[in-house]
Formats: sequence, structure tokens, C-alpha cells
Amino acid sequence: MKLILPPGVSQARFDQAMAAFARVIGQEWVLATDEDRETYLDMYSPGRDESHAAAGALAPANVAQIQAVLKIANEFHIPLWPISRGKNFGYGGAAPRMSGTVMLDLGRLNQILEVNEKQGYCILEPGVGFFDLWDHLKQNKIPLQMGIPGNGWGSVVGNALERGFSPAGDHSSNICGMEILLPTGELVRTGMGAMADGKAWPLFKHGFGPSWDQMVVQGNYAIVTKLCLWMKQEDEAAITLDIKLDKPEELKWYTEAMTPLRLRGVLDGLVRITSYQATATVPTLRSEWYQGKDSIPDSVIPLMMKRFNVGWWNGALRLSGYSDVCEVQLKRVQAQIARYTKQEFAVIRGPGNASPGPSTYPLQMTNWYGGRGGHIGYSPVMPADGKLVQEQFERTRRRYQEFGLDYSGTFYNDGRSVTNVNLILYGKDDAEQKDRVRKLFQALIKDAREQGYGEYRTHLSYMDDVAATYDFNHHALLRLNEKVKDAVDPNGILAPGRNGIWPKAYRDQRGKL
Amino acid sequence: MAGVLALLACAAPGAQAAESPAQVQARGLAAFVHRCGMCHREGGTGTYILARRLGAEQSLLEKRTDLQPLYVRTVVRWGLQNMPRLSRVEVPDADLDAIISYLLAPKPAAKP
Repeated sequence: MKLILPPGVSQARFDQAMAAFARVIGQEWVLATDEDRETYLDMYSPGRDESHAAAGALAPANVAQIQAVLKIANEFHIPLWPISRGKNFGYGGAAPRMSGTVMLDLGRLNQILEVNEKQGYCILEPGVGFFDLWDHLKQNKIPLQMGIPGNGWGSVVGNALERGFSPAGDHSSNICGMEILLPTGELVRTGMGAMADGKAWPLFKHGFGPSWDQMVVQGNYAIVTKLCLWMKQEDEAAITLDIKLDKPEELKWYTEAMTPLRLRGVLDGLVRITSYQATATVPTLRSEWYQGKDSIPDSVIPLMMKRFNVGWWNGALRLSGYSDVCEVQLKRVQAQIARYTKQEFAVIRGPGNASPGPSTYPLQMTNWYGGRGGHIGYSPVMPADGKLVQEQFERTRRRYQEFGLDYSGTFYNDGRSVTNVNLILYGKDDAEQKDRVRKLFQALIKDAREQGYGEYRTHLSYMDDVAATYDFNHHALLRLNEKVKDAVDPNGILAPGRNGIWPKAYRDQRGKL
Repeated sequence: MAGVLALLACAAPGAQAAESPAQVQARGLAAFVHRCGMCHREGGTGTYILARRLGAEQSLLEKRTDLQPLYVRTVVRWGLQNMPRLSRVEVPDADLDAIISYLLAPKPAAKP
């Protein structure tokens, strides 16, 4: 990728800045060749690579070096985009929102600083991956569990800061204290860590006064250099109910049935149910099932269900904890299910520590169309209500059919809200299909907005569109976000445009791709 | 082959000048397991997709005999099919050189 300069920065100024960066972090860690820039493009982009092209990357080794980098970035007005490990696939990968931004790659800050078995937490640097933490737990026989997302290649810290989740729950809700660098270079610890030697930093979330952790999550106010994250003790036993629902309309009763169980704490984490297609997209190619350019027709669905022995909807309903408690919970769950269906579901009993660990296995789904592929997700949050969830599913599936794409939906129920992840797969080199993908995405944003549902996280290309749907009092929240942005980052150097928050210096870039 | 390995070892900025080809390959194995193994060993995503495209016998990189240094380097930095690109932060050049020397090391002859 050829160099695209940051807006308003001349080649000469840019070169001076890069030379200054090299003096503080070493020339070796200033990555600014065409090939380096290529490695920070979004591999799975639904649009043009040029829309989110980094001007280069800097890889400091420690907090002091990041502070030195921030000082230079402020002096030369070089926008920086921090990434932990850059595996935010489906949301932009390692790429920035605004072309010409320089990546601040924190992959070299990769220490597991502490894992505390007794109180169930870890303190991590951003470069620690799920595989690294998993290996550390296994090698040291530490009986703690991790929440692991579908793609386990990425950073534990980065995933929590994006509000990533897994059936174990919302990973950002486990954050308990951070060490952050403000864009002006000041080092701050949040929560109880705001006390020098605060003993309860990873133990009590709030500290005293306003809490900053959630201001940093999905924001662009600070760079996280250390994160305290709660971990669950390893369970004694686990019971899994293999849920297979044969008809699409069964989503309604299932949501109604699970909601009170989740609210009463019989179930924990997120109750997940996913459509049949997820089982086919990983191990097979689309061409094995259908050649047409329109959506896969209904006649193919029974074939997929038969081959993979799955239902229209599928979910592994997991109870875990003390073995005797699990058995009691199982009875409650089965009794609740019996109120809605005569169908019985297979019960699988096993040890509580049987997690297979992180994997990159689901990434195979990008091969669905053969050749180079991509994926993107549209994931609105809505009430945990069976009728509304069923309607959301049907409305969304009709949209996929309208634009000739294959429906793949998952619903994550936390008892109060449901997050509906809609996976859209495409061929990266099929321009006509990608055009339909973008139209579908805009239609889904519009539909959800009309229902009063908003997305929890989105791809770089849609951050402005999704931010615009949060529109109470003429977008008062966005104005507040940007007021804070201008106060903590007067030169607007940190992650301009992240989640629709633009600093004064680049506000004219809003909506530009 | 030995000449190529020696050259690669010398070219790696992080490598000791006195490192033997076997030492470079050992470093390459460790880097391969850490940086590539989650997709490119038995049961990995890369192995599955390669099997789909080239057949099972060509799917495990560690068993391949047709890999060329420039090819491996280009795939790592530019990606291929569904494989994302890896930056010099994730796989520094010295590690990539060692990985290449490990993957290109002579394989034990296959049993007839």
C-alpha cells in the first residue's frame, strides 16, 4: 500500500515526525514501508482498502516509549490508532478509521503481569493473546477460566475493550481497573488503582467518584497499558443440553423460556442460539450446496440440517458449577422447557474444565464463497422478548433474501437484552456482491433504528452511521463525547473517528470513506 | 540448502553470528509453533483450508517440500486467500527468516 499522508500533514513534516519516532523507539520499530502498510490493511474489508489505510506503524516497547511517541505526535499533529494485536476481524482488523493514521501497535507490551487464583483475576498488557493466557494457565496449572471469543487469535485486553463477548458473558463487564495514558502523555490508574499502591485495584471496580473504565472502553480518550480482568474459578462440573429446534418459529418460545431462567441466575453468561447455517459455513463451501447468485433457497436447509445433524436453531445450553447444584438447575431448566415443547434434548455431563481453549477454527467461514473472503456483522441490541426476537429474525432474514445473501443469525440472551449478531459473508473480489453487502448493512441499520434498537459495536466503515442512530435530543451523546474528546485530546491525535467520535482537528472527516 | 540456511542465519539481525543452521531451525520451530501453529498444525484453520484447495497431502506446511523462501515471506506479509497478513511486530523479520529456514530444512525421506 502506497503512503497516504495524514490530512493536513506535508510529506516533509511526516518524514520529520517518523525520524523523531525512530529516535525514541528505534528505527527497527518504525514500520513504514509499502509492505508494512499492507500488513495493517483490513483483510476482510467490505469496501475499498484505501478507506482505512495506515500511513505506517510504531511499535513501542513500554509505557515510557509510548509517552515519548505521544509527545512527538502532539508536536507534529500525527494521528495515532492504538491496537493491541490487530485481530479485530469483521470490525476492521488492524486498520484505522481514517486513512493516513499511524498505527500504534502495542503487540510488544505482552506481559502477563499477574494471575491471582484466590481472588480470580489477571493483570495483562495489551499484547497478550488468548493463546498466551491459555498456555500460561495450563503450564502453571491455574484453575481459572477464560471467556474466549470465536476468534481466539486476538488480544484479551483488546477484545474486552471492544466489548467482545462469548457464551461466558460480556468480557468488558469483567474489567476492574486500568492503567491508561492520556493523549497528552499523563499516566493514570483508574478505580482503586488511583491510590499509589492501592491494594484493591483488581478487586473493586468503582474506586471513589466517577468511574473511567467504561469511558475508555470503545472510546478514544486513552491508551490502555495495563488491564485488570476478573476470571471465573474453574467449575467442578458442567452439564450441557444439546438444543436443536427444528422450526424457525421456535426461536420465540425458546427466548421466552430462557429469559426468566437467566434473570433468576439459573443460567449465567449469555444464552446463545444460532441458525443452521453456522454449521455449514466452516466445514463446507457454498458451491457444494447451491450455485445461484441469490440467497440459498429453503429447499437446501433440510439437507444441511440432515448432513450436520442440527436443527434450524442450535445452542449448547451450559450449566456449570458444583455438580449437585448443576443437577438441581438441570431439573429447573428441563421443567421450564417442558412448558413449551414435548421435545427432549440430549444431556451431556462432563467435567467443569473441559473447555477446548482458544481456536481460530471459525475463521474458515470466510472461505464460504471460495477464493478470498470476508465477513462483517450487524449486531443490534433489543429487549429479551420472544415476540420481538422472532420478528427481528424474520425481518432480518427477509432483508438478506432481498439482497441475495445467505442468512446467518445468532441471538445472545442475557435475560434483559438480546444481542442479535447477523453474520454477513462475501467474496472479497466480487465487487457486485460487496455492493449488495453494503446495501444490506445500511438497510439493517435503518430497520433496527426504526424499532429503537442500536448496534453494540461495528466495523470501521459504519462507525459514523451507527453513532448517528444514537440520536436522542439531536445527538446529545455524540456532542458530549466530542466535548470530552476535545478536552482530553486537544490536538485530536488519538484514534480520530473511533466509534463516530471525531476530534475538532478532523471533524470534517466524519462520514468520509 | 546449507548455503541458503547460512545466508538466512546471517541476514537475521537478531541472530547470533555463530548460530548453527540447527539452532536457527530450532528457533524457527519455536516461532512457527507460537505464531503459526494455531492455524497451520494438525486441526488448524489454515490446514483445513489448504486441504480444501491443494489436497490433504499438501495441507501441513511442516511436511511440504515445495515451499520457497520468497513465497513464504510474501504470503506472511501480504496474506493469501483467507489468511490475514502478519506484521513485523507479530512476526519480526528475524523470526520469519528462522521460520523459513525451519520449513525449508530437508525432510526425512518418506517411507515407500
